[in-house]
Amino acid sequence: MSSSTSNSKTLKATLDSGLVVLGEYFPGAKSAAVGYFVRSGARDEISVESGVSHFLEHMVFKGTRKRSSEDLTLQMGDIGAQANAFTSEENTVYYAGVLAEHLPTIHEILSDMLIPALVPGEFAMEKKVILEEIALYQDRPHFFLFEQSMRDYFQGHPAGNSVLGSVASVSALAVEQMRAYHDRRYSAPNMVLVASGKFDWDTLLSNATRWTADLPTEEVARLVSGYTRPALAREYKRKGINQAHVLLMAEGCSAEDPDRFALELVMLMLGDSSGSRLYWELVDKGTAESAGAESEERDGTGLLVAYAATEPQRLDSVAGTLRRLVSDPLAFNDADLSRAKVKLTSRLVMSGELPMGRLMALGLEWIYRHDLQSLREMVEAVNLVSRQDIERAAARFKFQEWSEFRLIPE
Amino acid sequence: MPHVETFDNGLTLILEPMQNLESVAYELQIPGGVVLDREDRVGASIILSELSSRGAGDLNSRALSDAFEERGIRHAESTGNDRFSYRGVLLSDFLGEALRLVSLMVQRPILPEDEIAPIQSVLIQDIDSIPDEPSRQVMVELSGSYYPAPHNRQSHGSRDGIAATTVAELRELWQGSYVPRGSVLSLAGNIEITQARELALRYFSDWRGAARTLPVWGPMPEHRQSHVVAESAQVQLALAYSSAKFGDVDYYTSKVATGVLSGGMFGRLFIEVREKRGLCYSVSARHSGTKDYGTVLVYAGTTPDRAAETLAVMIAELPRLRGTVTQAELDRARANLLTGLIMSEESSGSRASSNAGDWWVAGRVRTLEEIKAGIDAVTRADIDRYVERFPSVPFSLVSLGPKAVV
Repeated sequence: MSSSTSNSKTLKATLDSGLVVLGEYFPGAKSAAVGYFVRSGARDEISVESGVSHFLEHMVFKGTRKRSSEDLTLQMGDIGAQANAFTSEENTVYYAGVLAEHLPTIHEILSDMLIPALVPGEFAMEKKVILEEIALYQDRPHFFLFEQSMRDYFQGHPAGNSVLGSVASVSALAVEQMRAYHDRRYSAPNMVLVASGKFDWDTLLSNATRWTADLPTEEVARLVSGYTRPALAREYKRKGINQAHVLLMAEGCSAEDPDRFALELVMLMLGDSSGSRLYWELVDKGTAESAGAESEERDGTGLLVAYAATEPQRLDSVAGTLRRLVSDPLAFNDADLSRAKVKLTSRLVMSGELPMGRLMALGLEWIYRHDLQSLREMVEAVNLVSRQDIERAAARFKFQEWSEFRLIPE
Repeated sequence: MPHVETFDNGLTLILEPMQNLESVAYELQIPGGVVLDREDRVGASIILSELSSRGAGDLNSRALSDAFEERGIRHAESTGNDRFSYRGVLLSDFLGEALRLVSLMVQRPILPEDEIAPIQSVLIQDIDSIPDEPSRQVMVELSGSYYPAPHNRQSHGSRDGIAATTVAELRELWQGSYVPRGSVLSLAGNIEITQARELALRYFSDWRGAARTLPVWGPMPEHRQSHVVAESAQVQLALAYSSAKFGDVDYYTSKVATGVLSGGMFGRLFIEVREKRGLCYSVSARHSGTKDYGTVLVYAGTTPDRAAETLAVMIAELPRLRGTVTQAELDRARANLLTGLIMSEESSGSRASSNAGDWWVAGRVRTLEEIKAGIDAVTRADIDRYVERFPSVPFSLVSLGPKAVV
């Protein structure tokens, strides 16, 4: 182990392999959460392997060098582990919640899974499951709209890649391509291991050292520049739907940007599900069935996103109101800002109260910011944001250049 | 062990202090909901709970919303089939203010007439959008045909009922429904019993009113199988059959047996339908039970060419439980349920809500030890008896997709 430090309650070590390990104790907890965060997702795929990150996440549960798919399932079941995984544009996360006495067992299993066997028979079978998952999301209109819009908005830049991939790209994937992707992306320095709840730090570190010894140790890169994002207007049509949807996107701040809390506060005031300007103007008045806006911070870039769903005949009017409201981010007073700060800080504290909630926050905090802010420090940082900070942030980002995407019944 | 007491006005208070948390969660449940709506006004009670958030006491709609938000209280109200719910979570310093605001909403709502039309518009848009999400629509169709009237009413109400409701009707509904007797206020998290009790008494002991009685459950309708034609990418399959009610000797057995079918990645349905055949992404079984009914609901979504095979595999797996469950399977199903229990024990929102739910269903609050003991006691012989008592045939089935499956 090369270093070990602590910042308030959070423990951190970097193993010789480059794997970062984070831990946070919860006094009185009976459970523990543990997870590996791999800094790899859809945007790290080349076009012929579209969907491979997510498909690989499934295959990780289908057998390792030591265990068959059935072994994995049964051994996790024997200790009552609530294990799961997800893939996003930028990360793949494997995690589990267990009773504390089972933490070393699930930690060993998750570590083993980081080098999957990728058995061809299992690959062929799981491909069918992935194609079903793609079909499932085709039946969710807002998801369909978001995915189409991301692809168009990023103009071919990998940041706009689809997590699921398409029927064509997944059908064409070969196991060798998955293996090559895995070899390229699943290296120790490209991962973070996090534990929270009730656990023993020294045991966690020595086990992690032993159980990840076979991971590659190369540094891994990602393309985080070269975005061209003109203001677009697109309309998509679908059969069999009744509702119409509008989605606006503009350039926002990246996850590592110092103005991120300022932008999050602006977007809360604009588009939180309760008490925001979009709520009062669109939902409270009954014009839209739902409306919201948020800042989506990514690696090296970010998105401002605003959305509404309504009846088709009201779409023009709703889209107009949405655009008008989000183009005027500074239409707030001191009381609005104060409420937004209370809202954001109490959510931060409450989401960090459970081992699983804190695990997710810590893992992403490290991946994006290489920082270990305690919840208290985050709360202080939010409370320090001034109106001037927000004005500066609003001027830096593109509140006047929205791309507009619509989904309407065919 | 939670503190439980019933005030003179009939409101039951449940308090569960939890160590090491900063948050407190509250949940107030009042008997009512769409099952008690007039036949031609199904959905009026949904408008009512929403309208109660549009101003109360001397606070108008905006001021009431601001009052919650200024203190970071994450509040929501909703109407279900048989109850109104007011629930929230907050950092515990502001519990008094949260309870004051909720008491105003239920005891002194303004019910402004000009806010009704926008609420009706949103609720009708929601109903119209149900076919856009096939996985939601199939459940709506199944509960409509599976449960006896009026319990088969949809929790989103009826389009005509919502459109026809007037402010005078809502005021009458509020007077008749929002009463303490039969209602329950559940608090869990960073609270101290004496102080939380004092706050509850301060804001709710003057509340008055006689209880409404929920409609008696009649016999379950005949099982039906139907298909809904829809232009969806996947065929939705939802089937339901009778199972143990709460309080039944096999209640915990039904939870464990359903866990063998569908607990985590080792569930038999997951293995047979997804792992061995790759037929589905999503396949699951779930048991729900109150003192009035018990149901196992089985769901799968798959593409049209594979729907018939998926259904056949699902149907074959259900009765196969009898005589075939191994001790290891039983242990895994129990361990999975226990981990879920322990994890929920650490969350204020889960505790407040499950304590209120227990009161609702059982008229008392079960301790976690009691639930654990119930799960631990289930044997393989119990599962065999359970499957015999509650066979999966006959079942009700709704399929939804481009063409009929059966």
